[in-house]
Amino acid sequence: MADNNNCIKCDVAIVGSGFAGALIANELSQKGISVVILEAGPGVQPNINDAMKRFYNAAVKVPESAYPPELFAAPEKLAAGRPTSASLGATSWNDPKQSYFVQKGPRPFTSTYERVAGGTSHWLGTSLRFVPRDFTMKTSYGKNAPDFPFPDWPKAITSQSLSSCYARAETELGVSADVKEQSFLGIDFSKDYTYPMPRIPPSLIDQRIGQALANLTDDETKFLAMDKPVTEIKVRSLPAARNSQPYRNRRACAGNTNCIPICPIQAKYDPTITLNEATDRGAKLIDHAVASEIIVENERVSQINYITYKEEAGPKTGEGCVKARIYVIAANAIETPRLLLMSKNKGRTANGVANSSDMVGRHLMDHPYYVAWALLPPTARPVFPYRGPLITSGIGDLCDGPFRAKRAAFRVDIGNEGWNYVIAGSAFGDDPHLTTIDFVNGMNSGGLNAKEFNQFGKDNVTLFGAELAHKLNDLISRQFRIGFLIEQTPDPSNRVTLSSEFTDALGLPRPEISYDLSEYTRQGFVAAFRMRKLIFDKMGATDFTHRAPDPSIGSPGSFQEMIDGKTVTLTYGGAGHIMGTYRMGDNPRTSVVDSFQRSHDHNNLYLVGSGTFPTGGTANPTLTLSALALRTADSIAGDLKTRG
Amino acid sequence: MSTSRHYERNQVASGAMDHEQAGEVSRRAVLAGTVAATAAAAVLPVAGSAYAQGVDPSSKPDMMAFLLLSAALTGVHVITLAPEFSIDPKKTDILDQDPGVDPINVKNDYFKWLNAHDAATFGKLLQIAKDHRQSAAEIIAAVNAGDDTKFLARSIALLWYLGSWYKPADLQKNSAPGKRALIDSQVVSAKAYTQGLVWQIVQAHPMGYSNLQFGYWSREPVDPNDQNSRSDFGFITQTIP
Repeated sequence: MADNNNCIKCDVAIVGSGFAGALIANELSQKGISVVILEAGPGVQPNINDAMKRFYNAAVKVPESAYPPELFAAPEKLAAGRPTSASLGATSWNDPKQSYFVQKGPRPFTSTYERVAGGTSHWLGTSLRFVPRDFTMKTSYGKNAPDFPFPDWPKAITSQSLSSCYARAETELGVSADVKEQSFLGIDFSKDYTYPMPRIPPSLIDQRIGQALANLTDDETKFLAMDKPVTEIKVRSLPAARNSQPYRNRRACAGNTNCIPICPIQAKYDPTITLNEATDRGAKLIDHAVASEIIVENERVSQINYITYKEEAGPKTGEGCVKARIYVIAANAIETPRLLLMSKNKGRTANGVANSSDMVGRHLMDHPYYVAWALLPPTARPVFPYRGPLITSGIGDLCDGPFRAKRAAFRVDIGNEGWNYVIAGSAFGDDPHLTTIDFVNGMNSGGLNAKEFNQFGKDNVTLFGAELAHKLNDLISRQFRIGFLIEQTPDPSNRVTLSSEFTDALGLPRPEISYDLSEYTRQGFVAAFRMRKLIFDKMGATDFTHRAPDPSIGSPGSFQEMIDGKTVTLTYGGAGHIMGTYRMGDNPRTSVVDSFQRSHDHNNLYLVGSGTFPTGGTANPTLTLSALALRTADSIAGDLKTRG
Repeated sequence: MSTSRHYERNQVASGAMDHEQAGEVSRRAVLAGTVAATAAAAVLPVAGSAYAQGVDPSSKPDMMAFLLLSAALTGVHVITLAPEFSIDPKKTDILDQDPGVDPINVKNDYFKWLNAHDAATFGKLLQIAKDHRQSAAEIIAAVNAGDDTKFLARSIALLWYLGSWYKPADLQKNSAPGKRALIDSQVVSAKAYTQGLVWQIVQAHPMGYSNLQFGYWSREPVDPNDQNSRSDFGFITQTIP
């Protein structure tokens, strides 16, 4: 074990250097508080050139492609492993030899994350506030339903009370948006508030979908079960932490269409920016340091132990420990409960640290992501995808209403990357590659090389030369796709535990995951399915979603529902929005942390990140977790002051 | 919104079919003249057995043959494939022209890559290009006459379009009409990825590699080099070069 007398000493020890960890480290460092950050993965790189090269050279371009470790390495041979898109295939998702997660099902959990300094640098940049009733689901929609699955957030957290923290987060991340456009469903902005930068302009497909949904009949939209009849559905720009003008020494977005996994010009905010500020101010970042146990003495955390390594594949090269007055675990909604559960303190906390409620690891949520893709007719003007930021607009107005008593809400994303990763349910590779191969080699993996679309009077043509070029231009410039982020119920049986069988290269137990979609959540998919049909019909577009191959070839995340008398296969992927596994609440028996994200059990321990969300709403969680992290930083600074 | 190239494309496409009418005057007219002169002379200065001795990227006729082959397979002008290519009007045979050296020079990388993969078949393809250098259609017909040349030619088209190497054998294995399959590939280099032609062909840019400016995505694409005609399709050809 580490020599406890030689522990690093500081005021605040933070595990994890992603959004929450970096923001808290920076806030505290500004106040002259000494901070040590343990990062499981590699540290901040001197520039992004290696990451770009890694991305360009990757045969499989997935969110993980720009970042270490090696994509196809066996998870038991990685010191700081991670879930990957590549290990979410029909046969790999529940094979612990291929998948870092030990997945117990019944359905696959399909989100991934990184373990590198900065954490979620491969995010899209979407920075939505929650709508007010996202915080009060039980009171608003389940007051008289004893089995209603959603709790309220703590009383102290409301749209209004969080408004100033949201504003601070928007300043730190650098959010581009228009207040008037974002003022819907009662979102609270303080008087005269303006976002740091003007909005990101909408893409051609955003504009086209907006036009298509401008005039609707009650009959067409009654399936939405909103409180008022809907005759127009607005497409709004998404608030994004992506510069629309130079901001804090970073350039304006140049539309590289690569927010995920990496912006080549860092026009999109990522946490390494704040992390670098924190370390410039004196915070100490220790990389390649995997926290392995939180030591508790007399109800308070007294120390965190960690393991060091040098090579991606391990082995362990040493141990260390850090002693602080206050401890913050900011290791995401899977690695945080993993660490809490691993911390058994020789049996004194056999059920894990901060876990008297038995809620640690439970209520795992994502925004199961339902995508649909279609082709505009030859008579339509092309929309020219593969241009601009990956997503610039969406439909948010449908994510709250009386229907939430019965079925899950959804938010619609509009993709600017054509059929890039959705084509054929991603079973055969990405576009534009796939469609190019189809026409060069007479194949039809993607569905376009059929006479009704290729207009050559026969199926499966093989082309060279100008014919090939013109055909690809004609078809690919008419591709578009939409996606639905669906709210998920916080179910206690959707949970992260520790595998008793499988470990990583440091000998630490890997996360074991049980996951399912409730009936309430699945009903959200049914509504999304109808919404998809409405959008495609209004655009005169041909739906290609149903041309995806049997999900047994591609993503295993699918299920069947009866819709209007027909059996329909619905497929989901992960949004990367991992939430809920150490929920906040006012009652210590049913929650893990309070509204300041402080452990109910240990008053010098904070658990931060989207793991504290009691419910997930439909907004991308980053802005909300950042706002909460800033609120926590204030609380920590206050603690240190009162205790001298 | 003014004219989209969607409509102009028809014009360009039909122009490409009948290349006397193609709107792209200067270079193409010159080259058409060159090719016609060559064809009239009916002289084939390079022996049919050239490939047997191996081909060489530093040999101008070999590189020109590769560019003619590539232009035929991709439908993209030689000048786009080899940006420093220039025409010397004194030289009547296109094979004697100078392919040029450009700072990116992906053509040399591809030439070497193909030669290393299968020198014999690659040599055959270059010979086809030399023998039929007056016509893209003839090159394509000759390439399609044998499986070895056909599938390597498909790999070459994909190489230029995508910057990735798809093995001819893998293409052949999956060539049943309408087949659906994932075909393994290898990105040749970061440079090859960013030079992939398909992105330009669909009027976009390689994901993660754009030279455009803020806000361009809310407008229809316009070729910055061709503001007046808005014909960003000028680089596609049905004839060569």
